[in-house]
Amino acid sequence: MEERDAVPKSWMAGPTERKVDALELTCRRLFDEVPCYISIQDPQLRVIEANLKVVEDFGDPISAQCYTLYKGRTERCPECPVARTFQDGLEHTSEERIFDRRGLPHDVIVNTRPLHNPAGKIVGVMELFSDITVQKELEYRLHDSLNRFHNLFDVVPCYVSVQDRDFRILEANRQFKQSFGGRLGTYCYEIYKKRSNRCSVCPVAQTFEDGKTHSSEEVLIDNDGKQAHVVVHTAPVRDSQGNITAVMEVSDDITEVRALQDKLASLGGLVGGIAHSIKNILEGLRGGIYIVNLGFRDNNQQDIRTGWEMVQRNVGRLSPMILDMLYCAKDRSPRRLPVSLPDVTREVLELYSPRCRQLSIKIEAHVAQDVGTILGEQKDIHALLSNLIGNALDACLSDQNEEKAYCVRIKVFQEAPQAVIQVEDNGAGMDEETCSKLFTKLYSTKGTFGTGLGLLVCHKVATEHGGTISVKSAPGAGSAFTVRLPLAPQEERGPS
Amino acid sequence: MTTANRGGKRILVVDDEQDVCVYLARLFQEHGYSVACARNGNEASQSVEKEKPDLITLDLSMPDKSGVRFYREIKSNPALSRIPVVFVTGITGPGGNPKDTERFYSTRRQVPPPDGFIAKPIDQEEILGLVARLVGVP
Repeated sequence: MEERDAVPKSWMAGPTERKVDALELTCRRLFDEVPCYISIQDPQLRVIEANLKVVEDFGDPISAQCYTLYKGRTERCPECPVARTFQDGLEHTSEERIFDRRGLPHDVIVNTRPLHNPAGKIVGVMELFSDITVQKELEYRLHDSLNRFHNLFDVVPCYVSVQDRDFRILEANRQFKQSFGGRLGTYCYEIYKKRSNRCSVCPVAQTFEDGKTHSSEEVLIDNDGKQAHVVVHTAPVRDSQGNITAVMEVSDDITEVRALQDKLASLGGLVGGIAHSIKNILEGLRGGIYIVNLGFRDNNQQDIRTGWEMVQRNVGRLSPMILDMLYCAKDRSPRRLPVSLPDVTREVLELYSPRCRQLSIKIEAHVAQDVGTILGEQKDIHALLSNLIGNALDACLSDQNEEKAYCVRIKVFQEAPQAVIQVEDNGAGMDEETCSKLFTKLYSTKGTFGTGLGLLVCHKVATEHGGTISVKSAPGAGSAFTVRLPLAPQEERGPS
Repeated sequence: MTTANRGGKRILVVDDEQDVCVYLARLFQEHGYSVACARNGNEASQSVEKEKPDLITLDLSMPDKSGVRFYREIKSNPALSRIPVVFVTGITGPGGNPKDTERFYSTRRQVPPPDGFIAKPIDQEEILGLVARLVGVP
């Protein structure tokens, strides 16, 4: 109380008592009516004066420790602006949460100011609390909704970006950053398409122009160089005056849908190709039956033989086609039996030699003596090699260069841990685009003659045997298909 | 043994499918025509000069020279352009409708429409009727 008295006494020095009383009353009223909490603490942090608002909301403050009064603490706060003002004589500001007598929290901004006696000594510190509970609440809500917005923005399973008028990325969501990197400020066309200038048709530009939403289908290239087919939707982002300040671009990845569509289209082509081949076989069968019937009618052995040969030949054509179809339709793992590549090569060569002689196409095989066995299905490897040689012959036949001496060359050798089969021809060859499609879809360069099944079978056999198949080709120069199959481990090679 | 005499009318059958050639040749011979076969457009070009056929049945998709190329050549050669040509093909339009393909070939500007169109699998009566009408035999 002694300390508490010290302040009013110093204020009273000088003027007459009546005037001083009136002034003190006015000050007191003003002090009480200020719409914030004001208290004065002594160096021991005891409250020596407080306005009415403090008394109303926190109870009798006088002589209470400020930390107990405002925060219900038994010890002083670690960061105390009052103590700091006592220490350095300066004003301090901090943000605190205090609790009234009912236990309700108040978020406040605290300002402290030193009070000096005439000797200049700090005898008290005035603490002024501005209640910002409502603002704080709004701030929390804003923060919360921003968080929610960002979470939604991030978890949307599409590429989302916000762009300015120069097509620079201002914001991007998580999926975008994962696929295209997090470099904000980069141009959209650089990041999405690895282009150095803007696209001629741009839905973002259209939205900036007319303020409407636009859509388009685009092909993007991610940071790994992988293509993604997307459907892009754009929408304007406006400020409070309604001006378009940015455009949001949402790109939905439809790569898998496109792949499925391509697959279905190839399947349609495959079915068409098979139907055409079957039509020709059917025609051969009908012809054979017709001629056999003529032979029976006329008792002509020659006709019966000719017709019957036609029937046999066409049934023979049907069998491998159906086996190929079945092979492609099934998902299975081949048995792991020792397969000798020189043996299979010899068998296939014997099969094709008569046809090559007939077509005047040279066929030669170079089989390394030391090539090891592989593990798999002999008939699958047979089908693979037959298809590759059949294709090589077709490539020679479809090339119309009378000056060329056509040749199909088979090489079998080993590059441990793999066995390598190469089938080369100097036929028509293919361009890069054709090569890129060969193994990825049912694709035929033979128009209605091919079904696209052959290379699909080759690819399936190679991959099911743990190997790979690749092609090098150039139009007019021919093609070289290379199959790499893992060699059998020494202990599983079986009798040689 | 032939069942009718068609006055020695000659037909050139052009098809890369050997069995289809044999079948059509035998079918036409059986009905009194004399027949020559060609396995591609190049052979057909040589044969048409030599055989001077009264009618050609032509497959469209063939290796070497395609049927369409051969067709364009003979239709642009005044000495041969009057020979009636019947397309015999397994290529059919979307959904496998042969009429669509016939319409397609009949409306190309580069080539005049064919004199007849037969879709595989071949209907014997249809092809025989068409051929008889085109070569002018009863």
